[in-house]
Formats: sequence, C-alpha cells, structure tokens
Amino acid sequence: MLKYIARRIGIMLLMIVLISTMIFFLFRAIPGDPTAYVVDPSMPQEARELMLERYGLNDSKWKQYTIFIKDLMKLDFGDSFFYGRPVGQIIAERVPATLILMLSAMAVAYLIGVFGGAWMAWRRGTRMESVGITFALIFRSAPTFWVGLMAILVFATKFRWFPPQGMRTAGYTGETFKEVFLTLDFLKHLILPTIVSGLYFIATPLLTMRNSMLEVLSEDYIEMAHAKGLRENTILYRHAARNALLPVVTAGALFIGSAIGGQVLLEVVFSWPGLGREIVQAVTRHDYPLAQGAFIIISAIMMFMNLVADILYGILDPRISYE
Amino acid sequence: MSLLEVNNLSIDYITGEGTLRAVDDVSFSLEQGESLGLVGESGCGKTTLAKSMMRLLPDNGFIKAGEIIFKGDDIVKKDKEGIRKLRLRDIAMISQSAMNSLNPVHTVGDQLVEGIRAHSNATKAEARKRAEEVFEIIGLEAKRLNSYPHQMSGGMKQRAIIAMALSLNPSLIIADEPTTALDVVVQDKILKKITEIQEHIKSSMIFITHDISVVSELCESIIVMYAGRVMEKAKTEVFFKTPFHPYSLGLKNAFPSILDIGEELISIPGAPPNLMEEQVGCRFKARCPYRTERCQKDEPQLKQVEEGHFMACHYPERIGEFTEKASKRETWEAVRERLIDEGGDGI
Repeated sequence: MLKYIARRIGIMLLMIVLISTMIFFLFRAIPGDPTAYVVDPSMPQEARELMLERYGLNDSKWKQYTIFIKDLMKLDFGDSFFYGRPVGQIIAERVPATLILMLSAMAVAYLIGVFGGAWMAWRRGTRMESVGITFALIFRSAPTFWVGLMAILVFATKFRWFPPQGMRTAGYTGETFKEVFLTLDFLKHLILPTIVSGLYFIATPLLTMRNSMLEVLSEDYIEMAHAKGLRENTILYRHAARNALLPVVTAGALFIGSAIGGQVLLEVVFSWPGLGREIVQAVTRHDYPLAQGAFIIISAIMMFMNLVADILYGILDPRISYE
Repeated sequence: MSLLEVNNLSIDYITGEGTLRAVDDVSFSLEQGESLGLVGESGCGKTTLAKSMMRLLPDNGFIKAGEIIFKGDDIVKKDKEGIRKLRLRDIAMISQSAMNSLNPVHTVGDQLVEGIRAHSNATKAEARKRAEEVFEIIGLEAKRLNSYPHQMSGGMKQRAIIAMALSLNPSLIIADEPTTALDVVVQDKILKKITEIQEHIKSSMIFITHDISVVSELCESIIVMYAGRVMEKAKTEVFFKTPFHPYSLGLKNAFPSILDIGEELISIPGAPPNLMEEQVGCRFKARCPYRTERCQKDEPQLKQVEEGHFMACHYPERIGEFTEKASKRETWEAVRERLIDEGGDGI
C-alpha cells in the first residue's frame, strides 16, 4: 500500500513538471504580452522595453523556462505582474472563498443527490422519479449564469431575502479568517450562490447514485438478501446502497479536486471573490506567473484527489487491493 | 397433512409487450422429507414456480390465481413481514448463481451471521458459532468465514451459500440449479452433500434442474414442466422406467444412457411456444410426433394414469406405441420436416 502511494506520488511529480511545461509555453503562445494590458498603446517604446526587461520577458524562452522550473522546485511561483505580490499569497487569499462556496454546494448536492438517487432507484418507474430526473437535468443544462441571474432577480431583488452579490456587506472589513468567514453576514451571502451551484451539481450524484443503485438492485446478492428474510432497510442500506456508493464516492473525490478552480461564471455573476474569477482575469491580463501558478496548483490538487479516490475505493471495496 | 400443497397456481409477468403467463394452473404437493425434482427447458416456468414459494417474484411478476399452502397457511395471502419471517427459517433457497449471490463488500461470515440474526435473538457470538457449525457440516474451514467472496473459489462459494441456506434447519429447501456453474466433479460432491444434509435434518426439497439425470439420482418424485404447465408427475423410479408423456419421452432421449455410449443423441426439434400468445390446445403440439386434430383444439388436463402417476396427454392408452416410436430417430426427423413445412426453422 505505502509502496503504491509512493509510486503514485512519484508519477504525480513527473506529471506536474510536464503540465507546468505545457502551461508555460501555452501562455506564451497567446498573442500579446503583459504590457498591452498595463499601459495604453501610446506608451513609448523605451518604457515598454523597460517593463519587459523587468519581468524578464526579453530573455530567451529557454532561459525564462529554466528559471521558471528552478523556482517551481522551490515552490516559488514568482510575483504577479498585476499585483506585484507573490503568486502563492494571492492564491492563498482566494482559495478559501472558492472552497467554502464549492464545498457547501457540494454538500448540498451530494446529500440530496445520494439519498434522492437511492430513493429514485427504489421507486423506479414512478412519476416522482421522472420529475426528479427532469429537475436535475434542467439545472444541469440551463446556463449557470442565467439561473444565477434569475435567482438574484427573484430572491435578492424582489423578495430581498438574500443579498444580491459579494461575500460581505459593503464597508465590512475583516482581516483574519474568523472575521471574514465565520460571520452571519457571510452566511447570508453564501446561501444563494450555494443553492444555485448546488442545483447545477446535483445531477452528477443523483443520476450516478440512481444508475448504480439500479444496477446493484438487480444483482443476485440482493435477491439473496431478500431470500434470507432480511428487513427492507437492511437490504436497502447495508447491501444495496453500500455497493452503489462506490462510483459516487469516486465522483465526489474528483469533484473536490476540480472544485478548487471554482465556477467562473458563478463567481462572476455573484461577484464572489474566488479563484475562478481571478484566473480568468489573470489570463486576460497576461499575468503569466499568476495564471501559471493557479493552473499548476489546480492540476496538483486534481491529481491528489484522484489518488484519494483510488485509496478510498480500496477501503470501500475489499476486491481492490494495491499490494 | 402435506408440508406444501400448491393448488391451481398461475403466475403472470406483465411486460411492455403484454402479459406472459409463466406458470399456468400448476398443482402438486410435497410431503415432509420428500425431495422433488422439477425439470423442464429454460423458460418453462420452473424457476418462477420456485420463487413464488418464497414470494420472491420480480416486481412485474404476479400470482394471479391459486394457493400455496405451507404448514397450513396460504403463502399467497401472507403480508410482507409474515413472508420475511418464513424466508430462510422455514423455506431456504440455494440459488442458481453462487458466483454472484454473495455480497462482495461483506465477509461471508457476516452474511451468514446476518441471516441467522434476522430470525432470532441470537447474539453475534452465538450466530457466529452456528455459522461455524454449518460451515463444518458443509466441509469448509471455520476460518473461511473471514474471507470475502472474491477470495473463495466457485465451489467454496457454492458451499457457503448452501451453509447459509441450512443455517436455521429449514423445513423446505429450494435448490434452483445449485450446481450449474460448477465443474462436474465438484457438482457431484456438492449434490451428494446437499441430499445428505437434507436427509439428516429431515427437510423437504424442491430441486430445480434441466438435467434429468441428476433428478434420477437425487429425487423421490419428479415433475416435468413445459411452457408453464405440468406435463407429467410421478415417482422417480416409475418415471424413468415408463414415462408417459411424449415430451418426457423426448427428454429422456436427449440424455445419454450409460448403455449406448457413442450413439448420437436424439433431440426434440422446435422450440417452446410463445407464452405471450394465448395457448389453444396442447402446448406441446408443435413438437409432438403423435399429435392429432384433438390436440390442436383441446388442452389436455393432468390425469392419473397409474397409482401416483399423472400426465397431461389425451392418449395415455397409446403409450406402448409412443414409447416404441420415440426411440427412433425418424420419428423426430419427421417432426423437424413438419416444422419446416409449417414455416418454422425446425431447429
């Protein structure tokens, strides 16, 4: 087991170097350079040169690349062109907001999805089942920004139940994590985007659980459990749901991995100061270090959660072993 | 009083294309300690019949008529909880697919213990002890209780399933092709074990199979089913000596006898009728070498031909002629040609 994990981590490190390389060259392949965003076109050529010099963008691509990789080994992503501060710092500031929103949304989606999916399988063929599926698919296919805008229109503007945007009421300043996130004001701001993105996510756990449950329910061991005279609840939870949960757990672990990148559209609609919005801005600003850093961290977490999913699978399913 | 009495039982499956009558007006009884072989081709309703005894029919299967009297109570009328209590404790099933009948994420021991505890107040330790006992009886080491199903061979899994079925000394064991997934050597051992234990705990058994040679070895009586109906019912020795029904004669042909090794087997051409359609006349008419006008119109009812020997054919008196012709290849070849003439494929 330990050997397996060590091997996987080794592969992950190699993958990160490869991904970093791709990201590095991809960003430099985008037309334009950072100066175009910072300054107006009338800026004298000398000033531009000076700026490029300062960012190290006049060096050869190869030289830039070796410096980048060397820094990366020290976990140094460089300074953001736009903010002039270390990338790690900026990402660390943005990640909590994104993660709190994504994890709340995920908790909502998975709680309703897993139980609802199991229930739908148990009651297959009923009207409630088709209603459930349709409902999940509508919110999966509807554009998130539209659902978000509608939610703001109805629940924030018309009924005034929730604040329309942002993470806290204007004028409120908090410095520490506790002051920023552990307040009633933050909770109020959190609810609407959580529901909207939860609705978007719900299709995955709901339909995965339903399908895998349907598959499990037709297994011979479920019939055997009936033949043993077990109680319905024992069969449903101990035998059926326990087996059906396997693919849902994997999907969940991978979801956490991707959640760190946030949902860009949602963050924009709700003016949520998360990482997703930051990445989009970094790309348009040609803020190479920030964009690179964010993508590398996202892919690293993604790979890590993949490993977590595999290990979880081994724990949940005795047939899988990593010896 | 018989342990089990099935009277005029009919079972329907409601499907998207219509209603299929899988079991039609079946009656039989089973004495305490008796073992009964239920034979027939795939799809003849034998598994459906067996499952109905435990009310384990799939969601689209319904008992339309008849009664199943077990120890004086009608199983058809019992409520869910009543049925639940009956399962495993009174009627236990040894299922067709040992390979998949154990839940892969729980140890075999847990699955036995869980069954025992669902029907008694036994503590975990007591149930565990009982599980060890039945494992020993069936010839598995007690430490195997800690194994997961995937760590066991097919034969072991089958034994574990049997151990599970026997764990509460049921009065009726339903064995649905319990050994089809196993190789012949293991098959034989396990079948012997099942009957040995069945005799030991004096339970009755319904043994479902499409292998009539197994029945000849293990069962006291036999029921031959065809297209949802009972065609013939007799004591095993009587049946194998003098089968009456043309279908039974054909079935007997299709199994090799030790005396004529090397002979090519004679099979029954054609396929069972589509039970989605309404059946007129004898169900075996399309494949029967001796059919007459009457067989096309009247459905023969099960009637007694000798003491304890029943069959559903209009012509019990022509048995001598039937038996003689049935052993000849030409008889069945003629059926094949007739099927082709009628637009069938004659397979």
